[in-house]
Amino acid sequence: MNIVVCVKQVPETAEADLKIAPDGKSIVEEGLALQINEPDNYALEQALLLTEEHGGDVTVVTLGGDSSEEVLRMSMAKGAQEAARLADSAFERGDAVATARALAAAVKGLEYDLVLTGCMASDDGHTQVGVAMAEFLGIPHATYVTQMEVGDGSVTVGRELEGGLIEKLVLGLPCVVGIQTGINEPRYASIMGIAKAAKREIALKSAADLGLEEGDVGEAGSATVVTELSFPAVGEGAEILDGTPPEASAKLADVLKDKGFV
Amino acid sequence: MAISLKEKYELLGCIQCGRCTAGCPVSLRTFLNVRRVVYDGMVGPGPKDAKERPEAWNCTTCSNCTERCPKGVKPMELLIGLRSAAIERGRVTPTIRDALESTFKHGNPWGRIRDKRTEWASELSVPVVGEGEAAPLLFFVGCTPAYDTRAQSIAVAVAKLFEAAGVDYSTLGTAESCCGNEIRRMGEEGLFELLVEGNRELLESHGVETVVTGSPHCLNTLRNEYGDLGCDVLHYSQFLKRLLEEGRLTLSGGVEKTAAFHDACFLGKHNGIYDEPRDVLARVPGVTFVEMDRSRERALCCEGGGGRMWVEAEEERGERLADVRVADAVALGADYLVTACPFCLLTLEDAVKTSGNEGKIEIVDLAELVAMAL
Repeated sequence: MNIVVCVKQVPETAEADLKIAPDGKSIVEEGLALQINEPDNYALEQALLLTEEHGGDVTVVTLGGDSSEEVLRMSMAKGAQEAARLADSAFERGDAVATARALAAAVKGLEYDLVLTGCMASDDGHTQVGVAMAEFLGIPHATYVTQMEVGDGSVTVGRELEGGLIEKLVLGLPCVVGIQTGINEPRYASIMGIAKAAKREIALKSAADLGLEEGDVGEAGSATVVTELSFPAVGEGAEILDGTPPEASAKLADVLKDKGFV
Repeated sequence: MAISLKEKYELLGCIQCGRCTAGCPVSLRTFLNVRRVVYDGMVGPGPKDAKERPEAWNCTTCSNCTERCPKGVKPMELLIGLRSAAIERGRVTPTIRDALESTFKHGNPWGRIRDKRTEWASELSVPVVGEGEAAPLLFFVGCTPAYDTRAQSIAVAVAKLFEAAGVDYSTLGTAESCCGNEIRRMGEEGLFELLVEGNRELLESHGVETVVTGSPHCLNTLRNEYGDLGCDVLHYSQFLKRLLEEGRLTLSGGVEKTAAFHDACFLGKHNGIYDEPRDVLARVPGVTFVEMDRSRERALCCEGGGGRMWVEAEEERGERLADVRVADAVALGADYLVTACPFCLLTLEDAVKTSGNEGKIEIVDLAELVAMAL
């Protein structure tokens, strides 16, 4: 079974002091470490596990600048056979729909039985690319998938719902499946493996290569407009416990005792 | 074709005398049998990687086996080699994977971003060398003293002592990256080479003449595995000894405590630095020094080395060695168990808490102890 995995390079922001760029519509990426979007890493692992079991090839596709090739090389080091990057300034500043349209066009040109994506990207958090791509491709989709079993011409998935519930669905192949973290344990790509992958070819695709017009992609092809980015206002009801760790933990213990939690 | 482990590590030299296993501290507590791993590598196709020999991850790379082998075989390197093969297959435990990915991305194995590397110095005025500027005397802080909230006090103490002694020194600030000592021992050779290349360039660009490290692990790799760096590499205990002897550092206070010293493997066994920390201890007014039974080259490993800060032993059958170590020091009547390694500090302090010895003994880093006497 041939699997296409759509991956995205995102800035790591967990600990970073984020700044909004002068344009007011983006964040300053300088100084931020870049990495594969976490759910995409699980999607890649899932594809590798499935092809190891059922045979077939894994192709990784990304839409992004030069630096995003690092994510493709890492994917190839882990075992992906082919890689493509949608590289065209026309793709810049596209929203989830514009990105999905471009990815769908790229996927259409490949031989595939299954398309995997991460369930969401950690930077803009749209959670829409996989679903929109399935619509453009005219194939079924499932999101937040934490369980997966491939049958004859179909795939049975478990979707994560609220309260620990799992929704079981059977989808006909081909389909798009959005992978949630925790479905597997992603492998490690060694530096030597990545260095070897640096010699492998990455197919570059422009909008024209994919048969797309300028109005289909990027800002022009987007269904949404970003007008402004802002930090959430600091709310009420939170108390910051300061002091050294022993002092802060003593205060926390008092709070828990006072509120009757312990 | 790749050469076999047998050839690469010259295993045919082994006479199966078993001194490696007899001297292996980890064999007290796990089922790692070093002699057996060497034997299997010697006679058969042998294990391909550490996935097939999960006990290879139990090794703390203390180097006892390699030090004691009468035939010059290097079993420790074989165990690292098994890990390397597992790394190249991507088959490693998630905590090791995360430490390696963090080192690649942020230059430290603790999952912290580069910008926060100087957080330890936020309340001090620690000199940071600018790009292209000279730094003849460099304090190489190390990832654990830089980031770990407990071990940061080592970096702070060293900086305070340098200031008190009027030492003209520099640090690399956020440009400092992991030395790679633990990375190499986790088996990630490619990443290790990348770190060596980066750090070498950095040290050369600042014309460094002397490096003083905050950790014996940094000392070990910078001194022994970077090739010729063209500069002296010292552990801070060696440098403090010099400062005290030359009278540049004077201690006006006193520490009225009984102190035992725990030899860190990478200071002692790997680098033969046994006397300097003891000499420093002897110069701290008020300290009564007691020697542990298992000391110097016979010292018991704390199990924090060789990547073991990021992976728990696979199988356990005995007490944690750090627990044993703390119990020994308590029995000796020590108020302080002094060490000069951030990993020992953390593993021993954990052991004090988990073995019910809180209030009976404190784990203190040598730099902290000296700074107490300022």
